[in-house]
Amino acid sequence: MVTSLTARRINTFLLNFVVAVGGIIVAAPLVWMVSASFKPLNEIYAYPPTIIPDNFTTANYNRLFNDWPFWSWYGNSLIVAVLLTIAVLFLTSLAGFGFAKYRFKGSNILFVLLLGSTMIPFQLVLVPLFIFMSQLKWTNSYWCLIVPFMAPAVGIFLMRQFLLSIPSELIEAARIDGASEFGIYWRVILPLARPALAAQAVLTFLGAWNSFLWPLSVLHSQASMTLPVGMSGMMGGVTAGSEPPIGAAMAAATLVTIPVVIIFISVQKQYIAGLTAASVKQ
Amino acid sequence: MATQDTAGSIALPVPKRRLPRQDKYAPYFFVSPFYILFTIFFLFPTLFALVLGFLKWNSMGTPEWFALRNYERLFGDEIFWQSVGNTAFYCAASLFIVVPLALLEAMALNAKQLRFRTFWRAIYFAPIVTSAVAISLVFRMLYNKDYGLLNQFIVALGGLPVDWLGNQGVAKIAVMGIVVWRWTGLLSVYFLAGLQSISEELYEAAAIDGANGWQRFRNVTLPSLRPVVLFVSVIVLIGSLQIFDDPQILFGSNTPGGPANAGLSIVQYLYGRGIGQLLYGYASAVGLFLFVVIFVLSLVQFRVFRGFEND
Repeated sequence: MVTSLTARRINTFLLNFVVAVGGIIVAAPLVWMVSASFKPLNEIYAYPPTIIPDNFTTANYNRLFNDWPFWSWYGNSLIVAVLLTIAVLFLTSLAGFGFAKYRFKGSNILFVLLLGSTMIPFQLVLVPLFIFMSQLKWTNSYWCLIVPFMAPAVGIFLMRQFLLSIPSELIEAARIDGASEFGIYWRVILPLARPALAAQAVLTFLGAWNSFLWPLSVLHSQASMTLPVGMSGMMGGVTAGSEPPIGAAMAAATLVTIPVVIIFISVQKQYIAGLTAASVKQ
Repeated sequence: MATQDTAGSIALPVPKRRLPRQDKYAPYFFVSPFYILFTIFFLFPTLFALVLGFLKWNSMGTPEWFALRNYERLFGDEIFWQSVGNTAFYCAASLFIVVPLALLEAMALNAKQLRFRTFWRAIYFAPIVTSAVAISLVFRMLYNKDYGLLNQFIVALGGLPVDWLGNQGVAKIAVMGIVVWRWTGLLSVYFLAGLQSISEELYEAAAIDGANGWQRFRNVTLPSLRPVVLFVSVIVLIGSLQIFDDPQILFGSNTPGGPANAGLSIVQYLYGRGIGQLLYGYASAVGLFLFVVIFVLSLVQFRVFRGFEND
């Protein structure tokens, strides 16, 4: 029928049109951010806005690097995210292996405890943990951002779910060959767990990279700050009369966001696999 | 090794090979790091928080017994109730705006008629990985009363500029703008996974029965997605209850709660009292309040999880 064919064409057109409009709205803040970071202040304020700056300038970036310890924030964020990711990969896969492939006394109770622990919201321990860290003199250090978060329950759950699918015969074969229990983990389990490790790595890295509340609570010296904490203070501490550092803030936001978005697009599959593995069991 | 004894003696029957047993203690070593770290950094502080709630302790001073007075003060504080109301608004708005929008987005991104599907997915999912602090800074500029792009558009279309960040009536809506931007993509990832797990045959059967598009959605898609809808709703509720980054950056460090605290969230209130003013005991009472609310929601989530396992 001709009419239903036209109707279908109209539907297809509408679908593509709506998705395109929505996509532009979603992308607009990021495009505006990158664009503004290369504009002088008067062009940032100008209407209609330009996408490619008329007066292209890198002055915002120069101001960012001169007036704020931006690269130490970047280094701190990178070191914390990388160290935390390594620790999380090791400890969650080890524990996930323990729960997936061993029968041992108390394993059920321990596993229920693990799941139950996810019910404690971080905000409940925010203040006592802050006091504890102050007593340890761990504030303003990497330790307080890494050590408490090295073995997340959700990550262990994710690893266990994945490792359940590895045939136990492989483990028994390795045991017959005389491998130690840790040797089995290291030589048999870890190589097989690569897809789950990849998903876990991306989730953990991004979580650490974008984390704000806890770092804001325990990092007070400029030199110790991570990117979100450092950026959050940029609009506040400017002396009256000087130009508001909008361009510099947008330059910082660009350098925080764009590398991560590019990495995300290249590892989209693992990331989405990781997100959904923890939720929708299919 | 028992099996090596047989090497030289051909005449003897080969003893049955027994599987070497797993080491008794290895699994305990493997799972122990979680319990050690959890006990030190979460369980102990949780118990400490319960005690703190009954103490008057302000950083420098010595703690003194305060019985229920932290809670009396908390429940008598108008600003606290304001933050509870604001947070409830964020939760409700997320549930009724973000969840349906995410479902629509997932359906659109799943449609076969959509061109450049991979490209659009990358665009729509980019907010998931974007730093909340960075994007809140961007929105703060876009919301600017005098120069912000949003008002420039409104004026260009003949409207009056809105004081997004300074007007009590619209401050919460400004926060929701970021929430919608940040959360819709994440939730649609879950919906997309759910949609892709619905068998094509169900749709074919419905089509043979003469079901139109709406009926297929109503009778096939929605019932199949029920567990995902539940899961996503709980995720977004718990996430909105804990909202902090967006309003904190949007309104700036001088008035983090927005005009007359019109946008202040519970976690912002907790942070301001506990870390800002160092009222340890008082802030722990706030934390406990939040814990009870989230605990109830988590129980629901746990049931949903169990539902998935049983499927």
